[in-house]
Amino acid sequence: MSRPPGLLYSVEETPPRAILLISALQHVAVNSVTLIFPVIIAHEAGLPLKQTVEFVSLSMFALGISTIFLCAQWKFVGCGYLCPAGFSQIYIGPSLFAVHLGGLALVLGMTAVAGIIQIGIAPLLRRLRALLPTEIAGLVIAIVGLSLAVFGMRFMLGITARSEVQPIYLVIAGFTLVTMIVLNIWTKGYSKLFCVLIGIVAGYVASAFAGIVDFSTLVPEGGLSILQLPKIASFGWRFDVTLLAPFAVAAVATTLRTMGDVSNAQRLNDMDWVRPSFTSLAGGVAANGLGSLFSGLVGSSGVNSNSSSVGLSNAMGITSRNVGFATGVAFVLFSLFPVAAIGFAAMPVPVMGASLFFTSAFVFTSGLQMITTRLLDARKVLVIGFSFAMAVMADIYRDVFANLPAVLQPIFGNSLVLGTVCAVLLNLIMRIGVRQRVTMKLHAGPVNRDTIERFLTEQGGRWGARREIISRAIFGVVQVLEVVGDSPDGSEVEASFDEFSLDVTVRYKGAPLMIPDRKPTPREIIASEEGERLLAGYLLRQSADRINCKASGNAAEVQLHYDH
Amino acid sequence: MSKTALKMQDTDTGEVCIVSIGGRIDSSNAVDLLDRLNVLLSSGKKTILLDFKEVLYLTSAAFRVLLVATDEAERNTARIVLCGLLGQVRELFEMGGLLEAFTVHGSREDALAKL
Repeated sequence: MSRPPGLLYSVEETPPRAILLISALQHVAVNSVTLIFPVIIAHEAGLPLKQTVEFVSLSMFALGISTIFLCAQWKFVGCGYLCPAGFSQIYIGPSLFAVHLGGLALVLGMTAVAGIIQIGIAPLLRRLRALLPTEIAGLVIAIVGLSLAVFGMRFMLGITARSEVQPIYLVIAGFTLVTMIVLNIWTKGYSKLFCVLIGIVAGYVASAFAGIVDFSTLVPEGGLSILQLPKIASFGWRFDVTLLAPFAVAAVATTLRTMGDVSNAQRLNDMDWVRPSFTSLAGGVAANGLGSLFSGLVGSSGVNSNSSSVGLSNAMGITSRNVGFATGVAFVLFSLFPVAAIGFAAMPVPVMGASLFFTSAFVFTSGLQMITTRLLDARKVLVIGFSFAMAVMADIYRDVFANLPAVLQPIFGNSLVLGTVCAVLLNLIMRIGVRQRVTMKLHAGPVNRDTIERFLTEQGGRWGARREIISRAIFGVVQVLEVVGDSPDGSEVEASFDEFSLDVTVRYKGAPLMIPDRKPTPREIIASEEGERLLAGYLLRQSADRINCKASGNAAEVQLHYDH
Repeated sequence: MSKTALKMQDTDTGEVCIVSIGGRIDSSNAVDLLDRLNVLLSSGKKTILLDFKEVLYLTSAAFRVLLVATDEAERNTARIVLCGLLGQVRELFEMGGLLEAFTVHGSREDALAKL
């Protein structure tokens, strides 16, 4: 594990108190943008103003606890990285469907069910790995980035129901966005670190001057209490089996997004990152499920790790886990103050838009980077390309998809859900016919290294094997064949792959290969070719995760096992 | 010629002769590398910097050649220095416990600054 350049505070480090506090506030500000989703649900449920403020307070409370769950490093809960929670647009489609079918209580009940489903998925992640590979998690992150940009642009332009652009929104959003970009790119120190928070404050000020932020309209009749405990579970719960499918899809989609976000958070702390730690992923998914269950039970909608927040930590160079805990505590504290709920609920729309649009760039490119860590053969290219296209279609042909049966609406009405469903199904279909075991004959004579390299590289591409593992296997086969020398009847190389491991067997006629336990000294290596053979055996033992040599009559084989 | 075949290119900066190596080094071509190093040593070069940045992998035969050449250089009061060990190549040096057997620098620039 090596520290990436530009990382100021890694996951295990704690910034000085002032930086910790301001970083947490910045994450609070970025995640507060997602309060728009419960606000939309409250609006659709027709909640009166007073209850809307209570709903936002409960949402902040749920967000704080969920953030602590996600960042924790407990035995089965928490990813252990700075990966705060936010409300997710993934749940918007199913939730709006539930609101129309059975009111807010049905949203809360089904959100809790989705949380339980996600908790159930967490321990199975390693087994489901073939169905939910890294490149699909990367695709989900890229689609999230794209959908954040779409949402952001819509808010920035202030697009109305009649598809009209509001020029004042564009001016304020442009001012906010330019502030963030200038501070992030052309400044150093605190202004770079807190570019998003400063941009949001600048946007609030500009909005106040423009007269588009007015807190007084949100204050209920009779005024506000200074301090008020959130009214937990005041909306009740209902359940409906017909909503199980869309909420289960949302649970899978949020699982993929959490996997992507947690993988991304791991990658930000390790320049040599090539594969995610499944303990951390499973903990993150369990925490996310627990967060949604908690959120549904206390009275809010489904949560998800927030890609924008991970993008923000990338932009700031601060990935300290303690910033996550501070963010969670800050949200819980803010939930006690109704005025804070109003403050966040009243974030000017163009300011929300600029924040979403700014962070979407970091989220989108993180997703692309995750996709390209894998070898992409034609099957994976089609899975990723088609699914990405379908996600875009959901936005472009929204009107066409609106004519589909109501039960399909939660899938086709949301780009993220459609892209995810498409990716998971296509990945399943494309796995048909992938040969898991292939053999190549090598003629007697000098070792044909080009043929070995081409064979393993092409097959590795078809299987989606990591480049690093294929390189180790190429070295292993070439090294074995060099040591065993010219086999009179040629030799055979068999490779098999099952997503979890790559096994390569080299069969030849001759004496079994000797694998030494001890490392030969440089003097021994120089002294004779026997020393070189000892080194070869030792390198083979070290470079493979397991090596086994067998002989039967004059036929021998070397089995090389590589964890994947 | 194969894309991964051994490639060598010399650059003489006066005090240091830099040999940029690319591709794979194995039993089929390790002797070419040894011949090249012997030619440089016998022509009186006192410091030879081998840049491994473009090397894909090397087998035990290559390690033996490097050890033999380094031994030969020391006998001629010359030295062979390595740089640009990255990824799998560096791992192989580590696995064989051979990093200590050579003088190794990070990048070519690091090496030239210290030589």
